[in-house]
Amino acid sequence: MKLRPLQLLVYALLTLYSIAVALPIVWMFLSSTKTVRELFSFPFALPAQPQWGNFAKAWDSGISHYLVNSLFVTTVSVCLIVLFSALAAYALARLNFPGRVPIFLLLIAGFAIPVHTVLVPLYRSLNGMGLLNTYAGLIAPYVAFGIPFSVLLLYAFFLEFPPEIEDAARIDGCSTLPMVFKIVMPLSMPALVSVTVFQSVFLWNEFSLALIVIRDDALRTIPLGLTKFQGQWSTNWTLMLASLSMATLPVLLLYIVLQKQFIRSLVGFSK
Amino acid sequence: MTTNTFENRHATRKRANGWRKARKRREWFDAYLLVAPALLMFLVFIIYPLISTVYLSLFDYGLTDPRIRFIGFGNFAELGQDAVFWRALRNNATILVVSVLVQVGLGVILAAMIDRGVRWGKSFYRTLNFAPVVMSAVAVGILWQLIYDPTVGLANHFVRAIGIHPPTQGWLGDPNIVIFAVLVVACWQYTGYVMVIVLAGMQSVSQELYEAAAIDGANEIQKFFSVTIPSIRNVIIAVILITMIGAVKVFDIVYILTRGGPANASQVMGTYIYYNAFTVNRAGYASAISVVLLAIALILGVMQLRLSSRPREDA
Repeated sequence: MKLRPLQLLVYALLTLYSIAVALPIVWMFLSSTKTVRELFSFPFALPAQPQWGNFAKAWDSGISHYLVNSLFVTTVSVCLIVLFSALAAYALARLNFPGRVPIFLLLIAGFAIPVHTVLVPLYRSLNGMGLLNTYAGLIAPYVAFGIPFSVLLLYAFFLEFPPEIEDAARIDGCSTLPMVFKIVMPLSMPALVSVTVFQSVFLWNEFSLALIVIRDDALRTIPLGLTKFQGQWSTNWTLMLASLSMATLPVLLLYIVLQKQFIRSLVGFSK
Repeated sequence: MTTNTFENRHATRKRANGWRKARKRREWFDAYLLVAPALLMFLVFIIYPLISTVYLSLFDYGLTDPRIRFIGFGNFAELGQDAVFWRALRNNATILVVSVLVQVGLGVILAAMIDRGVRWGKSFYRTLNFAPVVMSAVAVGILWQLIYDPTVGLANHFVRAIGIHPPTQGWLGDPNIVIFAVLVVACWQYTGYVMVIVLAGMQSVSQELYEAAAIDGANEIQKFFSVTIPSIRNVIIAVILITMIGAVKVFDIVYILTRGGPANASQVMGTYIYYNAFTVNRAGYASAISVVLLAIALILGVMQLRLSSRPREDA
């Protein structure tokens, strides 16, 4: 570490790699403010006049609806995932009951199951329940597929939850359910936030299930909406890039603000 | 007197037992109540469909067909003869091998450089390199489709600048190049993911180990191999498994970039399942492919769970 040349080399390599990572994203934002003609000149030249109209046009062409749809589906799904997973993880980690271990193993084994292996029967089931092409038809499988990972993460958290707090509550005559809602959950906020952030980003970006469940343009989420533009605007590049920028900006901002929580949940996941 | 006392005691114990049993029952009931919502969703939307997949793989059936016809292992026999299926399987294998080598290899090197090589800007490099991970695969796919475009895309600009002639059929149009063009995108997006997890592992390695190695006269490269790598062995195995599972499951990026084309050259199991079920109405055949995918994913998943439930050796 004392060798200055070595450290300079490391800085140079890291910076070079970071530029390679950043270039496509920078190009996306930069090009979305250009005219189509400017796009054909030097790729990193600044636009003569920023074309904010690209954003307005993409917004009016459907992006605004897709953003609202994604926000709604993601919010409802994540709330249900966190609630269901936290309750289940608490019971599995802290209470004794017959079937505890098999239920735990079954739930976490679910996270090895690729969603594509169940697309066909899921499509049939949702069709049978009349949920095809509805928000509920998207939210229900989202919740189910979010549970294994969240239970695994929260289970590890609840294992280390201090038992003194529970004992104190029990001595005060508090029974299990009120204790879980009034005492355990408020004290578990950091873990719940980690799960929330992770699942929000994951569901905001989810595509495979949306592709088979949603047919109506009015119900499309952001990733599904972008695929419509992919066909429609294959020549209108600047509009396409403006849409991509608007779809990407919310998650990038969320990530920058909450990156600690996000990374914590990822690291817990790999242990 | 004595019998009376005995009976009293006996009654007290009986009452206490009954009370304890009632409390236990009460706890069981509460526990089942807490587990029920998660378990119900899981059974209805994952386990039941999973069993259906295995069942449907034995039928000749399309989603819009009114009737289904039992054909035993006919779909699996056809899979053995299906060149596109083998191509898809081989593409998954290519993606798996290259992803592990590039994403894990590069991810570990980058993490080591950030952990031990620089003094300032650690969190800047980490934040920046992780950014593509949070983007949707759809946005990333469309963005790279534009980058690969022969008329205005960055890719041609770049290779011309270093004196290489870009492929005449386009990066995504050449059957021999397309899978590697897809891999570039996957590695661009996910190397930062591996890096962040490995970096967290490296930051928990005790400084004393490095100091001891320094006393022995080890340089930075020697420390990397004799201290860093052995200390984070489990983390590295974990990211290798996560990367392998990701390579087996891959769908979005391939679907967006190529739809499996040109001429099935970039088909993977995920896109081939979708194609059979929803494009050519062969849901039974798609289910058979799903069973193969499921078997591979479960093997990798069990390996990862065994690893994560093992007591960790590093402090």
